Amino acid sequence: MSTAVVNKATKIIQIRRLYLFLFVVIAWVSLATIFRGRATLALPVSENSPFNDRVGAVAAAIRAGRFENPAFIYFFNPLREIIDSAVQLVRTLIAIPVSGSIIPVVGWFGVIGIVAFIVYASSNFKFTFLAVALLLGTGVLGMWTSTMDTIAMTLTAVIFSLGIGLPLGIWAGLSDRVLTFLRPFLDLAQIVPTLVYLAPLALFFLIGAASATIATMIYSIPIVIRITALGIRGLNNSPVEASISMGSTKRQTLAKVQLPMAKQTIILGVNQTVMAALSFVVIAALIGAPGLGGPIINALTVRNVGDGFVAGLAVVLVAIMLDRSTSAAVKTKKSFVPPSADEIKRRRLNVAAMGGFAVLSIYLSRNFLWAAVWPENINTSKIVSNATNTFVDYATTTLYFLTIGFRELITIAILNPLETLLAQSPWFLTVAAIAIIALIIGGRGVAILSVILLLAIVYTGLWRDTMLTLTQVIVATLLTMIIGITVGVWIGRSQKADTAIRPFLDAGQTLPAFVYLIPMLGLFGPTRFTAIATGIVYSIPVVTKLVADGIKNVPKSMVEAAIANGSTSWQVITKVQLPASKRSLLLAANQGLIFVLAVVVIGGFVGAGGLGYLVLLGSSKPEMQGKGLSAGLAILLLGIVIDRIAQTGARRK
Amino acid sequence: MSEHNSEAAISVRDLWKVFGPKPEELINSEDAKLPRAELMKKTGNTAAVVDVSFDVAPNEVFVVMGLSGSGKSTLVRCLTRLIEPTAGSVEILGEDILKVNTSRLRHLRRTKFSMVFQHFGLLPHRKVIDNIAYALEVNGVKKEARHKRAQEVIDLVGLTGYGQSYPEQLSGGMQQRVGLARALAVDPAVMFLDEPFSALDPLIRRDMQAEVIRLHKEVGKTMVFITHDLSEAMKLGDRIAIMRDGAIVQMDTPENLVAKPADAYVADFMRDIPKSHVLTLKSLARAPKPGEATDGPELDASTVIRDASPIIIQAGRPIRVASNGKPLGIVSSEDVLKLIAGEEQ
Amino acid sequence: MKIKLNSRNAIASLFIALGLVLSACSGAGVDEGASTDTSGSTTEETATEAVAAECGEWNIAMHAWVGYTAGAQVLTNVGEELGCTINQVKLDEAGVTYDAIEAGSIDVIVEDWGGGRWQEWADRGQLVEVGENGNVGLIGMFVPAWMAEEYPDITDAANLNKYAELFETSESGGKGAWYEGPPGYTTIGEKMIAAGDLNFQVISTGSEAALVELFTQAVENKTAALGYFYEPHNLFGALDLVRINWPENDWSAPEEADGSTDYPKSPLIKIASKNLIDSGDPFATVFQNWTWTNADQNQIAADIEAGTDPAVAAQKWIDANRATVDGWLG
Ligand SMILES: Nc1ncnc2c1ncn2[C@@H]1O[C@H](COP(=O)(O)OP(=O)(O)OP(=O)(O)O)[C@@H](O)[C@H]1O
Ligand SMILES: [Mg+2]
Repeated sequence: MSTAVVNKATKIIQIRRLYLFLFVVIAWVSLATIFRGRATLALPVSENSPFNDRVGAVAAAIRAGRFENPAFIYFFNPLREIIDSAVQLVRTLIAIPVSGSIIPVVGWFGVIGIVAFIVYASSNFKFTFLAVALLLGTGVLGMWTSTMDTIAMTLTAVIFSLGIGLPLGIWAGLSDRVLTFLRPFLDLAQIVPTLVYLAPLALFFLIGAASATIATMIYSIPIVIRITALGIRGLNNSPVEASISMGSTKRQTLAKVQLPMAKQTIILGVNQTVMAALSFVVIAALIGAPGLGGPIINALTVRNVGDGFVAGLAVVLVAIMLDRSTSAAVKTKKSFVPPSADEIKRRRLNVAAMGGFAVLSIYLSRNFLWAAVWPENINTSKIVSNATNTFVDYATTTLYFLTIGFRELITIAILNPLETLLAQSPWFLTVAAIAIIALIIGGRGVAILSVILLLAIVYTGLWRDTMLTLTQVIVATLLTMIIGITVGVWIGRSQKADTAIRPFLDAGQTLPAFVYLIPMLGLFGPTRFTAIATGIVYSIPVVTKLVADGIKNVPKSMVEAAIANGSTSWQVITKVQLPASKRSLLLAANQGLIFVLAVVVIGGFVGAGGLGYLVLLGSSKPEMQGKGLSAGLAILLLGIVIDRIAQTGARRK
Repeated sequence: MSEHNSEAAISVRDLWKVFGPKPEELINSEDAKLPRAELMKKTGNTAAVVDVSFDVAPNEVFVVMGLSGSGKSTLVRCLTRLIEPTAGSVEILGEDILKVNTSRLRHLRRTKFSMVFQHFGLLPHRKVIDNIAYALEVNGVKKEARHKRAQEVIDLVGLTGYGQSYPEQLSGGMQQRVGLARALAVDPAVMFLDEPFSALDPLIRRDMQAEVIRLHKEVGKTMVFITHDLSEAMKLGDRIAIMRDGAIVQMDTPENLVAKPADAYVADFMRDIPKSHVLTLKSLARAPKPGEATDGPELDASTVIRDASPIIIQAGRPIRVASNGKPLGIVSSEDVLKLIAGEEQ
Repeated sequence: MKIKLNSRNAIASLFIALGLVLSACSGAGVDEGASTDTSGSTTEETATEAVAAECGEWNIAMHAWVGYTAGAQVLTNVGEELGCTINQVKLDEAGVTYDAIEAGSIDVIVEDWGGGRWQEWADRGQLVEVGENGNVGLIGMFVPAWMAEEYPDITDAANLNKYAELFETSESGGKGAWYEGPPGYTTIGEKMIAAGDLNFQVISTGSEAALVELFTQAVENKTAALGYFYEPHNLFGALDLVRINWPENDWSAPEEADGSTDYPKSPLIKIASKNLIDSGDPFATVFQNWTWTNADQNQIAADIEAGTDPAVAAQKWIDANRATVDGWLG
């Protein structure tokens, strides 16, 4: 009875909120039309705001101290050198020639042997076969050396990340105080787009393999910490309590109970870390990471879709290989029972045989040229690249009118009006409108936070560019949600569709956005829409998965009851499944926004302007560095505003 | 603070546990008497254990009962400092538990106390035998010795042959046997059992209760047994403490609780229990009325009425009740009927 | 649990075995194996090794455009002939690469268009300006050739306003679209628009790819486009673009430009790390002596663009210009 009353009350409040929201939007639009073009705070691209100048001066001062400042002499430079020697060590093992020789310590055949052994020792023959096949694939694509560089970079970053992240994660899992201290950083790390990390890091660690490794570590350490801490905190408490009640010391409880029980989650964390590091190493080519990222970004600057595609394909192969070999160690069934003694014995023999093969292959790769250097005549890069170029040229010329038509439709119908509203009206009007919307959606705390952060953006002098970026984020998220919900509902309802589509979603998630930025450029030209389309492609997998899982988790009984009442499929979807999976939808929207933001800023590479372009501008034009760093800050602030509004909104409803 | 009873195995005085931002301020304050919700609203605190004192005699089974949220688990955890109490004192085996340092506390936990948990708390990644040997292991006992001891308790709780299994391969009832065995492995002086059987289905629960009674007879431990199941409490408890909102409202033997509930709360609690199952002849014994036969068979005063009633009916006249040969009075079939009828309304 | 232990043992034993294998065949590496295969060439092998002892390992920054690749590849080939180890490192131009020089990960910039922006790095000492490489760059604003045919007077900047609406797109907010150069390049578009009171809106293209895309579509689909570009660039072989003319240039540093005159002809500059210059290495000598012409560069760039491997294209040029190359060796 009383719950029904409460439900009714919340419903009324929600309907009121909706009207209120509409009213605010109408008022906003009318005021914006009246005051259009005034106080927009537009700043020409080539000019710095006073704030940018100040940031620029700080950056210049930091650069000036590179060989004098104690912080550099005793911290940044030595740290860079340590990491550098580690990276170079791993690289000479598998990627670059040992000095005075033409091959690394281990040639390609030896690497195959080692990978086969490691994957087999941690999983089974099927995964070993897959891993070896994928690795050979990168060689066939003519990308062996770049691939080894990428793997070396990834591994080094992962090893350091685990070395730092695991202990911290365990500590944060055990101590509330440590977690409270770390949490803001962990939350922030989830919001900051990868592009934003690079410039400030380059200021301190300069450019090169070491800097790229450090950037990758800073990106992946929060992931290790988060998953490890969650793994320990998420444990069933009663075994832990039992252990304490039996007089274990903290260390004993950790070593004998918590760690063994959290092991699976921690391995999962390793898997996530490896994947994150790999995707970052590709982007880190912007600050000198060797490997597959170089050709991809190079292809972007000289518009060679084919070459970029070859490298991108190699990234995908490596991604699948690393993902499958690390996740194979994660047991799917949650059982602690080990296999029987016979099985163990058999495995031990097999593992030893595989180890023998590895040793033999290393020996061969050090003594025979065929096993040392990837054979030159097995190289399909030219063929694949040319085929891709031909195909893309064909597709873009034939699809041109279609894609341009769609682009123009979205641009004129949504993008331009929204941009006018956000960026062409007085800044205080926009701030006020966003604050009121935040108030309606998320409540007073978020509204106040939004106002403060938006004012901070105004203060950076990059208000208008921020609004350009925000416009693209909103449009991309809207389209993502439309597509994501449609596909998500479909695969949530049909197992067949799920089996058919999910592999693409999985693959899409491992693909760095740079890889498809160039084809998008071919389809949509140097426009804002290219950035939007790339953002959509990047965020659709995660949104679709969340929606599909939400739909799947709606209790069967609810759906059955609705069908028994004679509902049509459409009614079941709109009246039962979607409302019941509202939480997942809101979570999907939140994730969608953050993912889109991360990629829309990359759109700066292809003519989308906004903050992302300024970041790029700042990293290559020294006199614009202050502006670039400020743009990074503005992206961060914008990300927090979006995230907070979406999250509190989701929590309230 | 009143003195501790030096005879007792466990002696608790004025024990408090308050969760919240300013726990100390609540001790002995007026606010502590507020209902939970109001207290929460006013101070942000939850008083989980409120001014509790009691003694448990050696070898006694002391049952703590109460509704969900009444503070039973918190109380039992305070006794071994799995939760640090806010105020009060606890003596176990003559030692002031709240004053000992951590290494002494660990030593006591490893050798003198043990605990059985509602959700078993088994270590899923260890074999049954290693679960049971865990306390010995953390205490540094060599593998051979601890496995030998573990095997003994495995046999004791009827798990022979399951030592090499993993917890997930056992049924719920068997898992809790592992829990019991683990608690027995260190041969503790005191056992704490927090609703050990409430996650089991009724048939298995009855088996396990019988098991505890058997074990208690065999190994004779002091036990603090938490439950919210009245019949379980009645069956096992030498004495029962009833808790409400953190405080003990009444503490007595089962019969006295049924016969003389201290207030409406306890009475309400006791309503569901068939009195004839708990009360003994002692509570019905009265002086014979004029003209009543006084030559019926004699039964001991401690006989539960349910068990006595067939004899009374068969005898066709009142029976005589005696305690240790000393006559207490008589009980007629009418008395028994009245008692049962009284339950029905 | 058990399994993990086993595989851990196995991995440990593998590494021990690995160590044994490595130590067993240290000294007997592939190089020797390779040289015995081509038996008889041992003397030559030692000869190069002797040179190799003198010549070190150097990293050339690889910027994206093909002209740059041509120069870098020639230097790479010559350096390798001398027995140096030359690594090509793909990097963004200007600030990014200057930082890389300071970090020690880059030694050579083949051509820099930056007009002295490296001064601050040079002042700190790790970056050294080596001089002009002989190429001359010319930046400008371009339209597809078909537009110049259809509207002959469009090539005069003074007439741009007349045609502004031709260039209008959904991106340009009611004005003509002015596609500006990529982030690292010298650009003064905003000043030009302001000075000429042009009814155009600057659109920031983030990469050369975007510009190439723009002009490709403009030529192929006969659409209008006004964009930033520069010579020498091999794209001029493939696409017909026509330059818009402003009054003769009167500035050299972008800050001095008032927007009323065209971009300057800029001699392209060689930059090196202090390490390289101080080393007295043969490669340092080559780099310091190296100069060539736009024609040289275009010749190689055209080959590369036609699908020849850069190393092959560069070698072809080296073989044809042996005398010039020998002159660099000092
Ligand atoms: N760690 C804690 N923090 C705050 N409040 C707590 C904490 N632990 C218990 N409480 C509160 O203390 C009160 C007593 O809880 P306790 O678990 O002791 O009850 P219980 O009698 O064991 O209940 P149940 O029969 O459900 O196990 C409850 O109101 C509970 O919400
Ligand atoms: Mg409890």
